Amino acid sequence: MADTVQEFVFNLTFPFTRTLGSTLSTFSSALAQGQIIGVRTGGRVIAPPLEYDPDSAADSGTDWVRVGPKGTVSTWTWVPEPTNLHPLDHAFGFAFITLDGADTPMLHVVDAGSESAMAAGMRVEASFKAPADCVGRIDDIIAFVPAADPSPSEGAGEPFAAPEENDITEMDAYCDLTYVDNASPTTTMWAKALMEGRIIGQKCPQCERTIVGPRGMCSVCAIELDESHVIDVPDRGVVSNFTIVTPVQYHGQTETEPFVRCSILLDGANAVIAQQEILGITASEVRVGMHVECVWAPANERSVQDIDNRSRGSGGDAIIGWRLTGEPDEPAENYLNRMM
Amino acid sequence: MSHQPVAIVGIGQTHHKRKRADVSIAGLVREAAQRALEDANMDWGDIDAVVLGKAPDLFEGVMKPEMYLADALGAVNKPMFRVHTAGSVGGSTGIVGSHLVSSGRHKRVLSVAFEKQSEGNAQFALGGGKGASIGAGGAFAPFIRAYIRRSGAPEDIGWMVAVKDRLNGAKNPYAHLKLADITIDKVKESPMMWDPLHFLESCPSSDGACAVVFTDEDGGKAASKPPAWVLATAMKSEPGWYSGRDAVNPQAAHACAQEIYKTVGITNPREQIDCAELYVPFSWYEPMWLEAHEIAAPGEGWKMTQSGATALDGDFPVNMSGGVLSSNPIGASGLLRFAEAALQVRGLAEDHQVGGANLAIAQAYGANAQFFAMWAVGSSLNPLG
Amino acid sequence: MAPTENDIAIVGFAQTSPDRRTQLTEADLVLHATRAVIADTGLDKSEIGFTVSGSCDYLSGQAFSFVQNTDAYGMVPAINESHVEMDGAWALYEAYVRLLQGDIDVAMAVGVGKNSNSDPSTLYTIEFDPYYLTPLGTDTWSLAALQARALLDSGKATERDFADVVVRNRANAKSNPYAQIKGDYSADELLAADYVRNPLRRHDLPPTTDQAAAIILARGKRAYDFCERPAWITGIDHRIEAHLPTVRKDITTSVSTRLAAQGAGVGKGPIEVAEVHAPFSFQELIVAESLGLDASTEINPSGGALATHAVMVAGIIRMGEAANQIIKNGKNRTLAHSTSGPCLQQNLVCVMEGDQ
Repeated sequence: MADTVQEFVFNLTFPFTRTLGSTLSTFSSALAQGQIIGVRTGGRVIAPPLEYDPDSAADSGTDWVRVGPKGTVSTWTWVPEPTNLHPLDHAFGFAFITLDGADTPMLHVVDAGSESAMAAGMRVEASFKAPADCVGRIDDIIAFVPAADPSPSEGAGEPFAAPEENDITEMDAYCDLTYVDNASPTTTMWAKALMEGRIIGQKCPQCERTIVGPRGMCSVCAIELDESHVIDVPDRGVVSNFTIVTPVQYHGQTETEPFVRCSILLDGANAVIAQQEILGITASEVRVGMHVECVWAPANERSVQDIDNRSRGSGGDAIIGWRLTGEPDEPAENYLNRMM
Repeated sequence: MSHQPVAIVGIGQTHHKRKRADVSIAGLVREAAQRALEDANMDWGDIDAVVLGKAPDLFEGVMKPEMYLADALGAVNKPMFRVHTAGSVGGSTGIVGSHLVSSGRHKRVLSVAFEKQSEGNAQFALGGGKGASIGAGGAFAPFIRAYIRRSGAPEDIGWMVAVKDRLNGAKNPYAHLKLADITIDKVKESPMMWDPLHFLESCPSSDGACAVVFTDEDGGKAASKPPAWVLATAMKSEPGWYSGRDAVNPQAAHACAQEIYKTVGITNPREQIDCAELYVPFSWYEPMWLEAHEIAAPGEGWKMTQSGATALDGDFPVNMSGGVLSSNPIGASGLLRFAEAALQVRGLAEDHQVGGANLAIAQAYGANAQFFAMWAVGSSLNPLG
Repeated sequence: MAPTENDIAIVGFAQTSPDRRTQLTEADLVLHATRAVIADTGLDKSEIGFTVSGSCDYLSGQAFSFVQNTDAYGMVPAINESHVEMDGAWALYEAYVRLLQGDIDVAMAVGVGKNSNSDPSTLYTIEFDPYYLTPLGTDTWSLAALQARALLDSGKATERDFADVVVRNRANAKSNPYAQIKGDYSADELLAADYVRNPLRRHDLPPTTDQAAAIILARGKRAYDFCERPAWITGIDHRIEAHLPTVRKDITTSVSTRLAAQGAGVGKGPIEVAEVHAPFSFQELIVAESLGLDASTEINPSGGALATHAVMVAGIIRMGEAANQIIKNGKNRTLAHSTSGPCLQQNLVCVMEGDQ
């Protein structure tokens, strides 16, 4: 028999798309052409530009200014071991870089070879990706590198004439985070029971309500429930309500056809198990009042790999689903209010 | 008591759309905030504190975006507060903002709520980033099925709400959906999404923001346009799940309304309240909330819909703005309800104005129909006389 | 003092054991913290007029993660309840404002964070400007290090000063049963370590902690029902600065801390003990200076955030520790501070006083 899982690795990945609005579009469209710009607002040139003056929140306007590509480091740090989210795969610096022509620094990456090369006052220069690879995102600048020629940037501080229409109005933002949760004692209890072919609940000694898929507490009484409150509940019951979901396609969606999730009021237990699948009939044939019984996976094929702290109450791959017993339906009216 | 009167003197919202491709996140919230400031005849510098509300950060993939939005909303060197109470958050954002004034902490407070759903995908976020997400419709459909069976309501009630709210939305220049040609047949024939809910009985996914400016009594009296007065606020919660819980008729929904009615002195809500903005993301929630908020007797809410009482020209108009069914920038949806109620008692709702509205309520709910936020607003501090 | 009905005090504080990695869920942690503070104050849960928590969806990577945590309140019958996506210190602020409405007299504020599920070197990249900072993988350690370097270059502090802060906090933590990192260290041995982000070494960074904390607030004379010597909140304020540290005028000081301190009335009298929420060692120096504290104030007898640091909880724990100095330790005037955002972007200051 497979063990219950102690840790769950969960990758939260999603391709977000950000619309930029006028100011950021102007910046991005210029950047993709190799030109960094700022905006003159509140008496200073802010680069990269913000839509609003950070001091007053007034609109920044469109007094665009060419800045860089060279600039001066004001403060810095060093990243000896980059993470998967950092833009470089070798040790690098982060720095505040005041670009020529700008009054405020921008935060960016400095590829200086070694920590000892970093210093306040160092002159650096933007190193761009190949033009074809530029998408107008801040990381079109691969990094700033020590400037070969420390003299001022040509054209910095001069006005920038923005085009009528910007080429770039959106940016991709891929979220890629890894979480490692661990099974709580309550989750482990549930998963072990499933592996043994048992459905368990916890009965509150105060209000005597039973919750199937133990939660370690009574949400009515706010008291802790532990192993001593565990009871076995029947693996038969009556469908008390259901939902038929027409799947919307999204990143990570696993369903393509309408699917059903049922609440089942377990026989004699005064307790409901939720989010269950019904086998052998189509979604449109599911009715409130049907008698059903649990279909367990064979003991040697059961798995609870998917039972984490969020999915308590789900049967994992230990419960295949629930099938009709063939008994006549109960009157729906007696069950409809028992979604829970 | 330190409780002081609070006036609403500025209301702003964005044009809500499936995708506001023309703005950044900051641009979206600023559009609403600037309209509210303009309405209040104020500038950023007049505001003492900012409250930001939105639904889960996973919707846009920006964690605690109030940090990034601090300067965009003029909060630099001021207090900035972030509320997140699930679907009720827009309502909570308004209530927390009003409390900053009623407690005497501040004179002028800006509450802003937003969602830019088009940046990500709510269904993904609600599914915890996993497949087979049932989404909000999947979660609420069983409650609706139970309500229908329990009340004996005819099946066309949901379709009627869907039509009525879209016709109201067509009169609201800011609404996302403007379906002036919607019919019962179109709703009925639209695809079944979460049985018994059809596609056209469900809220859209919108980008949008809403902003409200609160002031103290002096500010309200000095306002250039008529203010709305906050008469009562309430936030009530109950557990999402316990054995035997009645999620169709949540006790928190009753408790929330009872507290509002008691504070304002409302003894007959149907008669005394002029109109209501209720959080109806799926059509059937109109009759359900009319009952759970004790405006209609148990089992009778659908009759108000059926009789036309909840239409714009009925005796108890509901969702004059077009409601969540016409615009759903999730985090802002609650504040939009609260703002519309205020707009009505200010007499500034233009084509969707209810004549002579002096006392209005607004409500938002969240999570497993377990969190409720509500307020009552009046054209004066004592609209019941 | 004879409290007026507008005076509000902290009357109870409880926290869970600060674990590097708990087996429990956030809801379990909330249950333990709230049960403990309810038992300590002798309250019945039905007496709590308002409950508010601070937590963060992205710590667990799940939308609406706080919803499950509310199971721990036992909300039958329905209760007045709210949630902030902020440290529990700001939840306490909402509770304070809610009490000022005058219709209730007891409130509970909660902070919870199971921090060990995520990696702090990557998670907080999404907390920053999504257009200019997140795409560079800009991480919270690097931003702190940039601020630390600016402080060094300003001549206001040295790396040894940073290490001394750590030495003192870890030594103080020895007497705190709820501290995670504690013991006797020398600055010399700490300074021998490699940089994680120059000029910050591992000890300059906060530990990772799973924890919850809960505080009971009471209004007016009701405070004495729960506590002999309540910690009266005589001033509380919070302020925020521009998000991008690059557009702030000077990141070696904290304007928002100074403004919040003024708003909370810090300068109206001597502060005996200050509990400062400085996740990074050097930030304690910046905050102490911006609060206007001098050598007469004892800072972080608990060991502070360098000893124990659950994001969303560390701030409310400062409130509880500063209150306990009055409730249990005979101090007369104490201060609690909490921070959030890159390079001390947002700061809350609370001054408490005991009856003389």
